[in-house]
Amino acid sequence: MVSDGSSISKDLTPEQFQRFRDYIHQHSGIYLEESKADSLRISLITRATRYGFAVLDDYFKLLTTDETEFRELMNLVTINETSFFRFPAQFEALRKYIVPEIVEGKPETSRSFRVWSAGCSTGEEPYSVAMTLLDSGLEGLGYVSEVLGTDVSTSALERAKAAVYPSRSLLNIPHSVTTRFFEPTPEGHRVSERVRKTVDFQYHNLVKEPYPLGLMGNWDIVFCRNVTIYFRLESTRRVVENFFNSLNPGGYLFVGHSETLTSVSDKFEPVEVGGVFLYRKPRARSAPHREVMKERVTPAATSPRASATARAGSRAGRRETSSTPDPTVVENHAVDVELLVSSARRASEEGRSDDVLTLVDEILTEDESNAEAYLLAAYSHADSGDLQTALKECKRSIELDPLSAASHYVLGIIYQRQGESDRAMHEFKRTIYLDADFVLAHFNMANLQRSVGAKAEACRAYENALRSLYRVPDGEWSWFLGGFRPDLLAQTCERSLIECRKKA
Amino acid sequence: MAGARILAVDDSPTILEMIKAILVSGGYEVITATDGAEALETARAEMPDLILLDVMLPKLDGYRVCRLLKFDQKYKGIPIIMLTAKTEEQAMATGIRTGANQYLTKPIEPERLLEAVAEELQKAEG
Repeated sequence: MVSDGSSISKDLTPEQFQRFRDYIHQHSGIYLEESKADSLRISLITRATRYGFAVLDDYFKLLTTDETEFRELMNLVTINETSFFRFPAQFEALRKYIVPEIVEGKPETSRSFRVWSAGCSTGEEPYSVAMTLLDSGLEGLGYVSEVLGTDVSTSALERAKAAVYPSRSLLNIPHSVTTRFFEPTPEGHRVSERVRKTVDFQYHNLVKEPYPLGLMGNWDIVFCRNVTIYFRLESTRRVVENFFNSLNPGGYLFVGHSETLTSVSDKFEPVEVGGVFLYRKPRARSAPHREVMKERVTPAATSPRASATARAGSRAGRRETSSTPDPTVVENHAVDVELLVSSARRASEEGRSDDVLTLVDEILTEDESNAEAYLLAAYSHADSGDLQTALKECKRSIELDPLSAASHYVLGIIYQRQGESDRAMHEFKRTIYLDADFVLAHFNMANLQRSVGAKAEACRAYENALRSLYRVPDGEWSWFLGGFRPDLLAQTCERSLIECRKKA
Repeated sequence: MAGARILAVDDSPTILEMIKAILVSGGYEVITATDGAEALETARAEMPDLILLDVMLPKLDGYRVCRLLKFDQKYKGIPIIMLTAKTEEQAMATGIRTGANQYLTKPIEPERLLEAVAEELQKAEG
């Protein structure tokens, strides 16, 4: 199945396109039009080449049996352009009119203001919303802002959580916003803690029903801009229906400036505010929908209290609370983390589990999304027999870095020790997909095969282990050897191979 | 004594897999444990023909497991080979009395391991 990786046919036949498109549609709801064929072709070849597939049909087999791979592909397929304060007029309308109107209508007991950014990609939209809410004076009125970003792309979500953006993505933002809500770092600009702490991210597939309970209610605003263009009409209707049910009465749905709910839903009231078209969920006893549709436009309410809020907002807007940390300090931190990681690795190689865990704590204090730290912790817990914790840490590591061969290897080890041979085998296979020369994955797979009597497969896996061992005698896998010398591993493989062939 | 049943104990999953592979290729049946408490329990329940015991183990260290078995009439006949890392050689030299039959220094060489196992099994039989 895995070829030498030298070449892959660069063509996507119409039949292949249809097959991939239908599979993607069926499993994610995203329908790729013919015009997307080329971009799909590039994504497919990127993924297939990674595993050394010579034909896309083989990659299709992997895709249909491996959910993680499906997510990886979707990460590429759904890459789309996004920027801070995209369509600024919508954010202006949010701050000036919508926030005051919603606050006006809220019950006295409610103290939270909740916005869901659905299809948030790399986080620009939810952060822009959070910044706008901070500027709208909600805090002063005693409200807590909560912004949630959801997306189907795990890699986009990772970047969203990291919240670091290249300087060019800030070009269109007013300087006053940049200085108040971003901090320079060596890698780019990071969204400030004040903003980040109001924003949360979560994986969610809009067409997969039912929605988790946490998403199904109590939203004041839903942003879903330029996401439904990927969906077919039937899916879009269901998604919009779900938004309708999730919103509080009087809540708003923000769609892309060129999108319309005509023929999608007649439950919302279309509203024009400051030149922007939005959709409002009617409060109880509103006019019949059809009449509202005919009216087309109703101005958003502006009450005395609402305009007071708006003024409070502009006051907050003038507050200059720039915080610019010393860049050299940030750089030192980066170096420290690397040092800590290499010390932790060494401690792990030498079997000093307690030291590993202490170092991991230090790493995570500096960088809470350090995938390798979680991996080291997982391996260390596995060593001391705490498989439950090991499993948790390992899964976290994979979440943060899904393409790490080592993480999948360790997950395999954990499953193996839990007696879950099938799962272990699956993880070892994944390890090899990601790094064909991960010797220990071949070796463990061979042992598993031999233990279930699959001699021929075991022989092949031992052979693969030996081949990789000669090719890459000190690959990433070697730090899991725990002091066992590679040449001794080779001897072990050779012995096992001879023994296996005898019986095969 | 081909077909003998050996209990291999090591907390590192990778090393345990390697020891297991070596022993299986030598024609032995292998059962495993990954911490001291499990080792003791398995040894008592399964009565293996020989135990390969790592020194550094969670819960109960290898020396204690060894002593607990060797001081027990019922189990003292089971040969125990202790596996030690280089840094533990000094502990060995200071004469910790564990009653272990043999020590092997890591990293484990497959040939050396099989020799030691065969030797101890023969002694126990004879």
